[in-house]
Amino acid sequence: MENPENNFTPQESLQLIESMINRAKDKYAEDGSMYLMWGWLVFICSLLQFLLLHVFQYEYHYIVWLVTIPFFIYQYFYVSKKQRQQKVVTYTDSIVGYVWITFAIVIILLGFIVGLLTTGEYYTHIIHILLAIYGMPVFLTGVIVRFKPLTIGGIACWILCIISCFITIYDYQFLLIPVAMLVAWIIPGYLLRAKYKQQ
Amino acid sequence: MFKDLDPILHSQLRLAVMSLLLSVKQAEFTFIKEKTNSTAGNLSVQVQKLKEAGYIEVIKEFKDNYPNTTCKITSKGIKAFEEYVKALQQYLQVKK
Repeated sequence: MENPENNFTPQESLQLIESMINRAKDKYAEDGSMYLMWGWLVFICSLLQFLLLHVFQYEYHYIVWLVTIPFFIYQYFYVSKKQRQQKVVTYTDSIVGYVWITFAIVIILLGFIVGLLTTGEYYTHIIHILLAIYGMPVFLTGVIVRFKPLTIGGIACWILCIISCFITIYDYQFLLIPVAMLVAWIIPGYLLRAKYKQQ
Repeated sequence: MFKDLDPILHSQLRLAVMSLLLSVKQAEFTFIKEKTNSTAGNLSVQVQKLKEAGYIEVIKEFKDNYPNTTCKITSKGIKAFEEYVKALQQYLQVKK
């Protein structure tokens, strides 16, 4: 078993382990494009919904959300394409992925299914609930990837949630959604993109 | 000299591969090759040895019509790595 390759000291061993572990870490796989796409999309949709509801008093104001369907399809292809290109999957990537899957499931459950099953009362609380949940994936992603703007964005969503409880006119609560998009998705999205380009 | 050090892990390239795989969920052969600065021939020999020892799992599949190899550390591999690091620590303590 005397092989020249095996003749290295324990110190060298430790250095090698350390350098290899560091080489795989701290790679920003996220360029922020999904944050920007969804951020702007929800921003515009929620403003449109506010206009339909408040200015035009259109009964089916929530119809604007149908616009998001093609974007869900696009997202699916974008993610699967990205997964094919990815040469390495870190634990961080995988955990962040599951955080967003959880978020999507919770939003669908609360937004559609619970809404269908409960009577009118639930509908008036939707904004508080949405804001509380929006904060969750953003905050967790920020903590996991150690990116402060996202962590702050998540906390900002929860602050907006508290503020929304003091806004008594239902229509105006809708305006907090675009604000949440701005602080939690759009601004961190641009910062993420800047960081990605820098590396 | 280092009798208690696992001979499978106590080789520069194999140790490098194991350290790399320890910190990620899975990695492609080309990624490992790039990060360890090794040649494809040497790396595939070492990967094969690690696989035979049961330390890593090697998944061969097709990606866009090209064969693609992905490596993943196994729980046996993680355990062996921990033992190896423990042995290193002991050795360094004795030396002090």
